[in-house]
Amino acid sequence: MGELVSLIRTSNIEEIKNSIYKILNTINFNKAQVSSVTIKPNLCNYWPSSTGYTTDPMVVAGIIDIIRERYGKSIPMRIVESDASAMRTKYAFSALGYEKLSREKEVELFNLSKDRVVEREVKVNNRKINLKIPSSLLNTDLFINVPKLKIMRETHITCALKNIFGCIALPRKSIYHPYLHETIVGINKILCPNLTIVDGLVALGRCPVKLDLIMGSKDPFSIDWIASQIMGYNPSRIKILRIAIKEKLGDPAGIEICGDELNSFKSEFPKVSNSIPKLSWKIQLALINIYEKIVNDITPPELD
Amino acid sequence: MGYLHMMNCFHIDNIKVVSVADRSKRALKKAEALGVKNIYTDYRDLLNSSNVLDAAIISLPNFLHLDSIQMALEAGLDVFVEKPMAKNVSEGQRIVELVEKSGNIFMVGHCMRFLDAVEKMKKSVEKGSIGKIEEITLEEIISGPFSQGKNPKPVPEWRLDLEKAGGGVLLDIGYHLIDLFRFFIGEGKLVYSRLDYKFNFPIEDEAIVILSSPVSSTKGIINVGYYQKTSFPEYNFRVILQGNAGFISSENMVPKNLYLYAIKEGIKNFTRRMIGKKIKPLSYTYYYEMYHKELEYFFECIRRDIEPSVSAIDGLETIKIIEESYNFSKKCEA
Repeated sequence: MGELVSLIRTSNIEEIKNSIYKILNTINFNKAQVSSVTIKPNLCNYWPSSTGYTTDPMVVAGIIDIIRERYGKSIPMRIVESDASAMRTKYAFSALGYEKLSREKEVELFNLSKDRVVEREVKVNNRKINLKIPSSLLNTDLFINVPKLKIMRETHITCALKNIFGCIALPRKSIYHPYLHETIVGINKILCPNLTIVDGLVALGRCPVKLDLIMGSKDPFSIDWIASQIMGYNPSRIKILRIAIKEKLGDPAGIEICGDELNSFKSEFPKVSNSIPKLSWKIQLALINIYEKIVNDITPPELD
Repeated sequence: MGYLHMMNCFHIDNIKVVSVADRSKRALKKAEALGVKNIYTDYRDLLNSSNVLDAAIISLPNFLHLDSIQMALEAGLDVFVEKPMAKNVSEGQRIVELVEKSGNIFMVGHCMRFLDAVEKMKKSVEKGSIGKIEEITLEEIISGPFSQGKNPKPVPEWRLDLEKAGGGVLLDIGYHLIDLFRFFIGEGKLVYSRLDYKFNFPIEDEAIVILSSPVSSTKGIINVGYYQKTSFPEYNFRVILQGNAGFISSENMVPKNLYLYAIKEGIKNFTRRMIGKKIKPLSYTYYYEMYHKELEYFFECIRRDIEPSVSAIDGLETIKIIEESYNFSKKCEA
């Protein structure tokens, strides 16, 4: 069954913590006996949160404060991310303000690509996928997913479920791209966050937009179901969500929204038809390849 | 860039690429597939076997420029080196000495001088169409090393290492714009500089520099940054020349629609190929054509045994302004 999803409009930075408080109370988040906490923001590249690509450290700061108030000041907490094809976690932590946050809040920053890896096989859509899982994520008491709300050419939406894909220890995650949707569902079958708080303060559609949204739920599938509607999609047509339903990772029945109106965020989101850029990109590359072969011209490095 | 230079060589008459050195296996495989006979993983091995070579194109990380230039010149080769010529003034001065001692042809890749729009602006200025230039604004804000092509790769570690790179956006992109100031105006003198470190890396990711001409009242405002997410074929670059009789902006020279331009140029090249004429490599990309033009010019200088218009002195003078900018900025911060 789906879970309650809370949407809160948060127009100024001082309100972030209060908004997260409200969300936790509304969704009735009350996990007991927590002795370690892991927070996974989305730090997919070096572009700051104002571009809509990465999680605002202020949102993570709000979460840290609330966790400390609930579970004690000395509770061990880690902010984690793994290296990606074009991103190195050590630089992302520094560039995106997480080193500063770590000093201010005395929280550990941890590169999942340096962790001891556990190999897990998962079957999704009749496909067996081998995943390298950082062992520390399997041993944490409270796993908090802090994704960004944005579109992506390959998957249409990228939010709660896709952010967990970023936990795979392997830097060259592009090897999973031929079966990306299955891999995203697969990793979510292994790693299940206890709480998802979405940074929708600046979201990314056709262009970045100040959406002033903080969204939260105990269920990442429910988050993505609602997030896709905000981004102008019919969730039942999003492939990741369809596979997730088939694999019993989530169920749209029972998803409820509380807090601010979904439509008010939806109307502000700069929607994009993913199929046109995806198609035009493929056509451009195909034309350049044909042209290069016939004319024997050179392909620029960006497209090679 | 090394790969692009190699590909450009295949499109220049009477030039044969006989040796390639690269640490990337993928790049070496491509070179082999294109018929390059001698393949090396270390540039030193290539330059040690230079008896089969006439010229070397050096497109290595900044910290290897001095060593590789020295090896190539001492082996009697003519040299084309990617910008920046050196990572600091002392290495630049050493390179100038080596070039003078060798008597070989030496050119630095100041490619922006070969951009179609810049060439047209230069001609226009020389004809006096805007009178005397009073001010020049040069701007380039891009993703720089953080840009992601079709196959995303991490930023090479050396580019974020101040010791190895020598600097950030000012040495990388600002170098071109300072050179363009010198190209249009002549010598430049530093008036002001301000650096910023938005990404908290040891290298600067934004720089504003003001130059003036020591012989006229002309000022130059240079604004460069790595802080904007742009993607190919977008190019956030402009030069505006303000004269006392008018102005010219590069934006009026660059095709309005790069996609339509690519189709038009692609058809032209296709026709050239069909009727057995030489194509204009990379003309369909507009901006990348300058890399072919600069190399073609370098080889033309070798053939005609003439000094290239972009000399080691040009490289050194540009680096001097950059080093002065770094020092000025440090003083202001202190």
